[in-house]
Amino acid sequence: MSELLQVTNITAGYGDGPAILDGAHLTVEPGKVHCIIGPNGAGKSTLLKSICGMLTIRKGEVVFNGKRLNGMRPDQILREGICFVPQERALFPKMTVRENLRMGGFILDDHKKLERRIDEILERFPILRERAEQHAGTMSGGQQQTLAMARTLIIKPAIVMLDEPSLGLAPKVIQEMFDIMKMMSAEGVTVLLVEQNALMGLKNSDWGVVLDLGRTLFEGPAGDVLADPRIQELYLGGNKAA
Amino acid sequence: MAAILQILILGLALGGVIALMGSGLSLVFGVMRIVNLAHPSLIIAGAYITYWAFKASGVDPILMLPVSAAIMAAIGVLLYRLMFERETNSVKYSEMTVLLTFALAMMVEGVLGGLFTNTQRVTSPDYATEAFFIGDVFIPKGQLYAGLVSLTIITALTLFLKYSRLGYAIRATTQNREAAELLGVNVNFISILAFAIGLGLAGAAGSLVSFVFSFFPAKHWEWVAMLMSVVVLGGMGSILGTVVAALLLSVVAAFVGTWIGATWSTMTFFLALFLILLIRPQGLFGEKPEMA
Repeated sequence: MSELLQVTNITAGYGDGPAILDGAHLTVEPGKVHCIIGPNGAGKSTLLKSICGMLTIRKGEVVFNGKRLNGMRPDQILREGICFVPQERALFPKMTVRENLRMGGFILDDHKKLERRIDEILERFPILRERAEQHAGTMSGGQQQTLAMARTLIIKPAIVMLDEPSLGLAPKVIQEMFDIMKMMSAEGVTVLLVEQNALMGLKNSDWGVVLDLGRTLFEGPAGDVLADPRIQELYLGGNKAA
Repeated sequence: MAAILQILILGLALGGVIALMGSGLSLVFGVMRIVNLAHPSLIIAGAYITYWAFKASGVDPILMLPVSAAIMAAIGVLLYRLMFERETNSVKYSEMTVLLTFALAMMVEGVLGGLFTNTQRVTSPDYATEAFFIGDVFIPKGQLYAGLVSLTIITALTLFLKYSRLGYAIRATTQNREAAELLGVNVNFISILAFAIGLGLAGAAGSLVSFVFSFFPAKHWEWVAMLMSVVVLGGMGSILGTVVAALLLSVVAAFVGTWIGATWSTMTFFLALFLILLIRPQGLFGEKPEMA
């Protein structure tokens, strides 16, 4: 497998507190959707935060495109091509949709290129085009999530990491989020997804990773993860994959 | 009618200066969540820089404004790196910054007292004692110039925040520090920059204050409550709110001072602070941080 991102046995936690991750590993292939599942407190969000530089990695290493990311700041990791959308969507509520998109391209030096990219994104997401001058904080949860995901595309990243994009959204809207995710993947963007709705997350992914108590228990093709009876019993509520 | 117009003009002119005094405090709170209790003492430091230049070589206070702003901005960079940078990840960050800025205010007062004694000072350019007359209404030139310069600086600051790349980064950091960092903003640099701008505004306000109010090192205790009421009423972190609140309270204070008594004028600010905290703690333009 030609990995784009390799996480090797990392230990990480918040501040001086206990380690949340202790021996987590992960292999990310280019252009595919990877779904991390596991119970609450397994360390799924912590893993994404460690990769994007928000948390200090105490042991182990994260290598992206052959480059070690340990010790780098989030802005430096973003410049390498890794975008992260946290659970709270990380929007600027008092900025308009257009201004939020402009912030999405903050690291781009070419102003004209940035404005062109914003226009392209607005063209692809009609709901954002309609609300381009509206403050992000006044939009619905689904619209905010669409904006957060669309904003990552401004810089054409190599990897987009999404932390529970379906959180708090209506079922119909959730499917729209997965459709956007698939569209990203079809365009060659690698997606690393943390999803509480494990069944839905795995069904929309190529690769599955099972995390528990800060360790990686299993990783493999999403179909294999879905079909594994132990994983079905422990993490999928006993539901058999359709 | 002329009397009301007179009070209104005096209130608005002073309100412009108070808006500038409060805008740096508001900016620093918005970006870094630092309640800078030392801000008024740093305004007084700016006033003393201007006073010293005026006495030494007769430099006009308004011409000294950029110099005073630049000196205070440079001091801001040093202070931030020495005092606040190491605290940014502390779980008791807010409490620490209150204590640190309180200590800083005491230190600045002590240093200024040592250098200039506790005598009341004021710079006295010619226009500080002159006025324009329109019928029965007079407009003191000093207050008018100070108010206009203040509003010009605040307009420039607003345009900078609204349209420049760094302005975007400052606004983004104000609204969601973590999100700004995730989008490539070096939030530590932005914090240093915002603190420097905040203190630069204190320096600029100091130059104008030097000929509008008499001042002495301990004067900041009176101003800290006044500025807090302006910033809280406007909405902590909102520059527009600070301007509106400063103009509003100054005008009300001018009417109270004229009709009820000068000693009650300052009470307007304290009463406003008390009421706004009870009725609408987020202020006029402040919003709850939660997303819709």
